[in-house]
Parts: sequence; structure tokens; C-alpha cells
Amino acid sequence: MSRKFLETDGPGWVQKGIITEEQREQLLALYPTDATAIGLLPLLGSFLVGLSALSLVAANWQGLPELLRLALLLGSLCGAYAAGEYFRRRGNTNLGMGLIALGLVLFGASIVLTSQLYQLIGYDLTGLLAWAVAGMGLTWLYRSNLLFIMTVVIGGIVQGYNTGQLGAFSYLTAAFTALGLGYYWWRRPNSLAGGVLAAGLLWQAALLINHLHIKITWFFVPAMLIYAFGDWQPDRPAGRAMQGPPLVAAFLFTLGLALFGESDMYTGQLRPPLLAYLGAMGGVLAISLLGKRQRGRLTSATDWLLLLPGFYFTGGLALAVATLVVLYAYSGSVLFRAHQEQNPDRVTLGTVLFIVTTAVAYFKLTWGFMDKSLFFLLGGILLLGLSWYLRRRANHTFADKTPAKS
Amino acid sequence: MSEQPLTLPARPPVQPKPLPELAPTQHRRWLKWLVAAQVLFVLGVAAAGYATGALGQSIWLRTAPVDPRDLLYGDYVRLNYSISQLPGHLWHGTQLPRRQQAAYVLLEPRNGSYEAVGVYSEKPETQPNQAVLRGSVQDVWRRGLRLRYGLERYYVPEDMGREIQKRQSLRVQVSIAPWGQARIVKVETAP
Repeated sequence: MSRKFLETDGPGWVQKGIITEEQREQLLALYPTDATAIGLLPLLGSFLVGLSALSLVAANWQGLPELLRLALLLGSLCGAYAAGEYFRRRGNTNLGMGLIALGLVLFGASIVLTSQLYQLIGYDLTGLLAWAVAGMGLTWLYRSNLLFIMTVVIGGIVQGYNTGQLGAFSYLTAAFTALGLGYYWWRRPNSLAGGVLAAGLLWQAALLINHLHIKITWFFVPAMLIYAFGDWQPDRPAGRAMQGPPLVAAFLFTLGLALFGESDMYTGQLRPPLLAYLGAMGGVLAISLLGKRQRGRLTSATDWLLLLPGFYFTGGLALAVATLVVLYAYSGSVLFRAHQEQNPDRVTLGTVLFIVTTAVAYFKLTWGFMDKSLFFLLGGILLLGLSWYLRRRANHTFADKTPAKS
Repeated sequence: MSEQPLTLPARPPVQPKPLPELAPTQHRRWLKWLVAAQVLFVLGVAAAGYATGALGQSIWLRTAPVDPRDLLYGDYVRLNYSISQLPGHLWHGTQLPRRQQAAYVLLEPRNGSYEAVGVYSEKPETQPNQAVLRGSVQDVWRRGLRLRYGLERYYVPEDMGREIQKRQSLRVQVSIAPWGQARIVKVETAP
């Protein structure tokens, strides 16, 4: 609850006799005003001065002597860190952390510009890796979510550059991001950081699969490993956030399988060696289930429905239909659990998934043999009806929960 | 956000102790180290660049004609070397070349510039007048392969930009350090 909210609504509560004036003041005292922020004008002014200095340097960059260029880069780097630390210590945390983050960006820029200075745009893996290492160090030092997220992004950039430009996958970068940031997140769970970390790791996993030229379905082994990590996290919201990106990937993949799976030309590209794949997936499944059991969340095991390896079957249309059944089972289970938990956000999510699945199923099964206008008319009616029913069902659930309100 | 356990009664979750903030003295010490390491690293990159130029083996490479209009788009030109595309029979490897694989190109002087005499998957032995440049395979087709050396981008000094007026080939001086790193030292217009 913010102080502003208390300030605007508090008098009303006093009037209605919910709290007394003293209680209102006591509540207000719990939320002291923020330490005086820097005035906006001086901030804008210094920003403009900085910008002019930057453009002056950038315009004459080529003409400056090498040593001066190096000194400018390192000077601004140290300056940003020193200023950040100064403001942070004076209690101006946001500005301070912003400047520290700027220092980290300047470190990356220094590496790139120095390499450019000596025409060293070669195959230097270490240069950019050092950037990620610095980000990791600062994250641990400041315990800051901003720096955490920046480090995830930097790791993704480094890996993208490695595979795209240098034609090599840096296992060191991947392991470093996964272990260093993963352990940090384990100790300081946070929803936003968890989601970003999972997305960053998925990006690196995708780059690895692409780099190795192996079947894309292998992607789901590291992806579900990330998912399983979320299962073990005691902090449930943070764990769920970490599981979001892998689940989105698995859902989209299954959706694609339902849409295009009947042509064996596509599914043929998806089949890794059966035993190796099932073995690896089984191992990850065991880790995940153990984690779920340990934390008492075995009901969420239905998420694994999406990982059923349907692409091994050469069924044609039957495969597409079977995949649709799986999708229905999954979105149905999400809805069911959401109603059981009485969680409105997840009810919305389940509703959306259910409707998307229905749309795909309808498209898949009727497009070929139905007159187009009839197709759209019936499809529209089906979706409207479904959403109306699900909405009613959701309202019903939440009405049960708070009978006084309805 | 509580979920009903299916079978077991939920054990009390073993929440790991949240990571405490660092003590101010420790924080300050570590920050100093971290910033110093970053400064040293940038200086190291500069030193490596300088040393590659000063200690490396110097060779000249020939490029395909460069379009001066390239310079309008940015401050660098894309260089396409005579050794960027090589015939497949130069490949010496136990297996066929694959995309994104590392490749070592053995070079020998031929009338004024260095040309490829072989492409290897492992670093080959050299004669005194030969040089080895490391690259990566970008593309493989039936009769040849395309390689990338990390020397394809040249950040053009301003005076050089005026010098390239018409489509012409360039001569590029490359310095190869004993530890394999290579950098462009100088670029001239070919006679």
C-alpha cells in the first residue's frame, strides 16, 4: 500500500468510522515520505551538459589520440561508479543504482570501442564474457534486481554475438549465467527476475540447439530443466514466474504440432533418437516431480501434459487430433486448478488457453470442408458461447468465495 | 496462492536463508576490486591490440574491389578478401567441412600478397615463409567454402575515406600475433 493511497482515501475511512483519526495518523507514520528526491531541473540540466560532452567526443572520436580515447573511456567508467556509490550512500538509491548500471554499460562500450581502436573485431570470446562477469559481480555486490536483469540481457547478447558472428557457442557463458544468476535467484527469489532469467536461459538454449544443428525438440530438455528448477523454489510466486517461459514455449510448440503435425514432412524433422530423448526427458521429469512432491504441489504435474512426445507417431490427421486432445486436457487442467485455488489471474489465463485451443481445433477440423462464411459464423458463435460460459463459471466461483459481496 | 497437496501433507517449505546485504566495509572493498578489474581488463585489451601489431608476423592480403558507396552507410567498409572464398580441394581434414567450424588457413606469399595453399581443421605446421590465419567456415557448397576471419570490417580513418573514390581493390596489412590473434594494421589502395 502506498502512502499516496492512504493520504487520499484515509479521510474517507475516518468519516465512515472504519478507523479513527489517530489510527489514520499511525498508519501514515508507517509509510514515511521518500528521502527528498533530486530536483528535476538540475537533473535535466546535468543530463543536457552530459549529452553535449558526449556529442563533442563522439564527433571528434577519430581525431583524438589513442591514449586520450582510452583515458576518456576509463574516466567515465570510474566516474559513473563513483557517482553511483556517492548517491546511493546519501540515500538516493534509484539514482545511485541507475549510475552503477550506466557504469556497467560503459564497461561494455569500453571493451567494444577499445577493440575497434585496434581493429580487433575478431574472434575474441573473452572480451564480451568479461562484460557478463562484471555484471554478475555487481549483481552479487549490490543485491540489485536491475543489475540482475541487465546481466541476463548481457549474457544473451554475448551468446548471440558468439554464435552469430564468431560461429562458436560459449558453454562458459551459458554455465556462468545459469549457475551464478540461478543461485542468486534461489537465495533471493523474485518473480520478475525469475521470468527474465528463464527467458534469457531459453534464448541461450535455443542458440545452442541451432548451433549444434540437432532436432529442435531437444530444446525442451534444458527448457524443462529450468521449469524443474522452478518446482524446487520454496517461494511459490517466484517459482511460477520461472516456469512461465518454458511453459509458453511448450504450449506454442504443441499448438504448432496440432496445426501442422499431420504432414509427416514437418514431424519427421522433430524426432530425435527415441531412447536418448525419452531418457533425458524422463530424468528431468523425475527431478521436477520430486521437487513438486517436496513442496507439496503435485497437482501442477499436469503441466507435463504439454511434453508428451506426440511427434513420434506417424498418424497424419490422427496425430493432430490427439495433440488437440492434449491441449484441451492441459488448458482444462489449468482452468480446473485455477477454480480450485480461486485464483482470478489463473482463471483468465486458463480461459484464454482454452479459447485459443478451441479456435485452433475448429480451424483445423472444419476449414477444409465448410463454406467459408458458415465457417466464420459458426466459429464466432462457438467462441462467444464458450467465453460467456467460462466467464460465468469464473464469476460463480468467486461469488462462492466472497458471498457477502454478491 | 496455496495449492492443495495431492497426497502428502505439505512439509513446511525449507526456505533458504535470504541472502543478507553486504556489510559496508566489505561492500566498499569488493567494489574497489571490481572496478579495478574492469579498468585493468580494458587496458589489457588495449595492450593486446598494441602487442599484436608490434610483435606479430606481418602479411599483406588482397581484397575484392570495394564499393566507395559503402562508406556512405557507416564508418567502416566490408572487406572481401581473395582468401574469403576458397576452392574445396584446398580442404585438408578427416571430415568434410561444416558450417561454423574453426578453420586454419595456411598462407604463402605469391607476387606481393599472401594466398591460401591449404585449409585445415587443426593448426598446421608452417615453413618460415608461411603464415596461418584462423577463421571459421561460413558456408560450404560443392566446389568451395566461404570463410570468415574477423578481419572483414575495417573502421576507416577519415583521410582514407576520401582516398577511395572509385571501385578498386585494396591491399590490407594484417599482423598475426604468435598466440593467433590477428588485426588489421594498415589498408592501402592496390596499384
